[in-house]
Amino acid sequence: MSSKKKVITLRSSDGEIFEVEEAVALEWLTIKPLVESGCTDAIPLPQVTGNILAKVIEYCKKHIGASESEDRKILYELESWDADFIKVDQGTLFDLIRAADYLTIKTLFEFTCQTVADTIKHKTIEEVRHIFRESNDFTPEEEKEIRGKSWWLQGL
Amino acid sequence: MNYFPDEVIEHVFHFVNSNKDRNSISLVCKLWYRIERFSRSSVLVGNCYAISPERVIARFPCLKSLFLKGKPHFADFNLVPEDWGGYVYPWIKCLEKNRSKLEELRLKRMIVTDDSLELIAKSFSNFKSLVLVSCERFTTDGLAAIAANCRYLRELDLQENEIEDHRGQWLNCFSECCTSLVALNFACLKGDINLAALERLVARSPNLKSLKLNRTVPVETLHRILVQAPQLVDIGVGSFVCDPESETFFKLTALLQKRQSVRSLSGFFEMTLYSVPAIYPVFPNLISLNLSYAPAFPGEELIKILQLCRKLQKLWVLNCIGDKGLKIVAHSCKELQELRVFPSGDGDGNATVTEEGLVAISSGCPKLNSLLYFCEQMTNAALITVARNCPNFIRFRLCILDPTKPDATTLKPLDEGFGAIVQACKGLRRLSISGRLTDQVFQYIGMHAKNLEMLSVAFAGDSDKGMLHVLNGCEKLNKLEIWNCPYGDGALLNNVRKYETMRSLWMSSCNVSMGGCRMLAKSMPQLNVEVINEYGFLNRDGDDGQLVDKLFVYRTLVGPRMDAPDFVWTL
Repeated sequence: MSSKKKVITLRSSDGEIFEVEEAVALEWLTIKPLVESGCTDAIPLPQVTGNILAKVIEYCKKHIGASESEDRKILYELESWDADFIKVDQGTLFDLIRAADYLTIKTLFEFTCQTVADTIKHKTIEEVRHIFRESNDFTPEEEKEIRGKSWWLQGL
Repeated sequence: MNYFPDEVIEHVFHFVNSNKDRNSISLVCKLWYRIERFSRSSVLVGNCYAISPERVIARFPCLKSLFLKGKPHFADFNLVPEDWGGYVYPWIKCLEKNRSKLEELRLKRMIVTDDSLELIAKSFSNFKSLVLVSCERFTTDGLAAIAANCRYLRELDLQENEIEDHRGQWLNCFSECCTSLVALNFACLKGDINLAALERLVARSPNLKSLKLNRTVPVETLHRILVQAPQLVDIGVGSFVCDPESETFFKLTALLQKRQSVRSLSGFFEMTLYSVPAIYPVFPNLISLNLSYAPAFPGEELIKILQLCRKLQKLWVLNCIGDKGLKIVAHSCKELQELRVFPSGDGDGNATVTEEGLVAISSGCPKLNSLLYFCEQMTNAALITVARNCPNFIRFRLCILDPTKPDATTLKPLDEGFGAIVQACKGLRRLSISGRLTDQVFQYIGMHAKNLEMLSVAFAGDSDKGMLHVLNGCEKLNKLEIWNCPYGDGALLNNVRKYETMRSLWMSSCNVSMGGCRMLAKSMPQLNVEVINEYGFLNRDGDDGQLVDKLFVYRTLVGPRMDAPDFVWTL
């Protein structure tokens, strides 16, 4: 605790300033070269808002070191922490994926993608479209043709 | 909407594995269809004649794992002629031609020649897993080719295959640098095994988790293997002939005392009476126990070990377990989810299970969701109780050995009993019914079994109405197989559009005529209507009134198959 840890300053798209330990920032591959070059200015992150950046930092601080632990108790505790962490609305979840992708944070990216994938499971096509705000760009003929060509993929 | 880059969408898809979800995804929009198409690596084809390999690869160019099914399910009951078809060779050839990077192949009820296995061995450099279930026509020479060439092989799983055993040294053919095996199952092989080669293979496979031996592997070898491979969790014991005074017995007992990791046990093709205590220490941790190959397993010992199996989730046994044994299971195995009781076929009068055993199981094992039960007799009252105790059945297959036997107490049909099952078990997907049954049971099925995907029926019903209740009521029905029921053309032709939504219909020894089959073929060109003239009684151009003994109807995208034998006519 006594030794002073190096701190990196980050600036979100809406101008909020955050400080994170260097060890955390080094896990973000997109800014890793900047951190390693000893940059002391605030690193601008124009694609991430302050509230999302706060969540990202919270996740990474919790996970640093803990993910690799082999202690079952720690891993179990981390799992339940994750489950609470990801109880967010759809918009926030999507923003987290984009932030993790943009900052290249592997653990967060995997976790959020998995979470979104879980929301797709057992849903109808309409429900999936709704979740992802995707509109159906098939013509009725095209959709019919694809369905006609795809039935063999179904069932056990 | 381009909220995410394509790579992100692809990564999300990577976590969606079920075919059903994958199919939904591909219909969301054009972009998703394209991303899904290129990211799907695993495909299941439930009928190898429903589509061609060329079309599968054209749609999914990055295919790595393929699961193919051939002959209809009733082949398991010898109802499908041997040369009916289901050849895998054209699939392998096509994958090879397209330079597929196939890694996993799982085949069920298909004809697999040595040529096919040799082509796999030669063509796919990163091949990892071969699972063959109820396949035929290959020999140990084909297995030798796989062993010799697939150096990254993780899984070789041979289940219930008819293999011609050339007593060759196929196990010896595994390359010295093959160290990746995780699962090896050759329990269905009849011939001798090179035991030294087996031990060497085990010794260089540090990741081997599952090993199922055949009947020729003696208990001494098993002991040496267990010493070498402490990581094994799933063990298929070969022969368990062991003198309880012998050194092997003591060494094995001592070794297994320390092994808490074994979770699954099967095999025991041969046994000696007092050998079982050596493996007592294993049972308290078992999740899965398959004694369906162990006719010689001593009854008293069976009772003892079942009392030890507190964590068991899956149990396969022969009906010589008796109602008494099932009551022990009900008392000990509170976690049981799957139970299969097979006929032992030795005609022994006291070897039998009845409604009593099933009722006991249903009240003792509330998590039970999958059942296959070959029994001597059943009653409506028992089935009603079972339905009340276990509403979570997904698979419920009841086979009364005399398939027309009525309720053993009241002598009434078993309609009400099965009716209770379909009414209570909302999630039921697979159902086999037997015993004396009238049209009433089909009315219940059509009315309540809304999630039913596969129904097997034999010796049941009184009129066409029975089949129509099912066709008109079961919205999710995918496969219907019928044997020895009085259904005729009226039942076959009343709702032909239904077959468009199903994978297949099998009817044998029913009352459908050649004219009915012709009519079906004419009105539904997207179906293959195959008449199987196994015994040569039919005249292909003969009159419409001829009765068709075997009929197989299935939906296909590629028209009549080219490899049909002379006795199979696609109308």
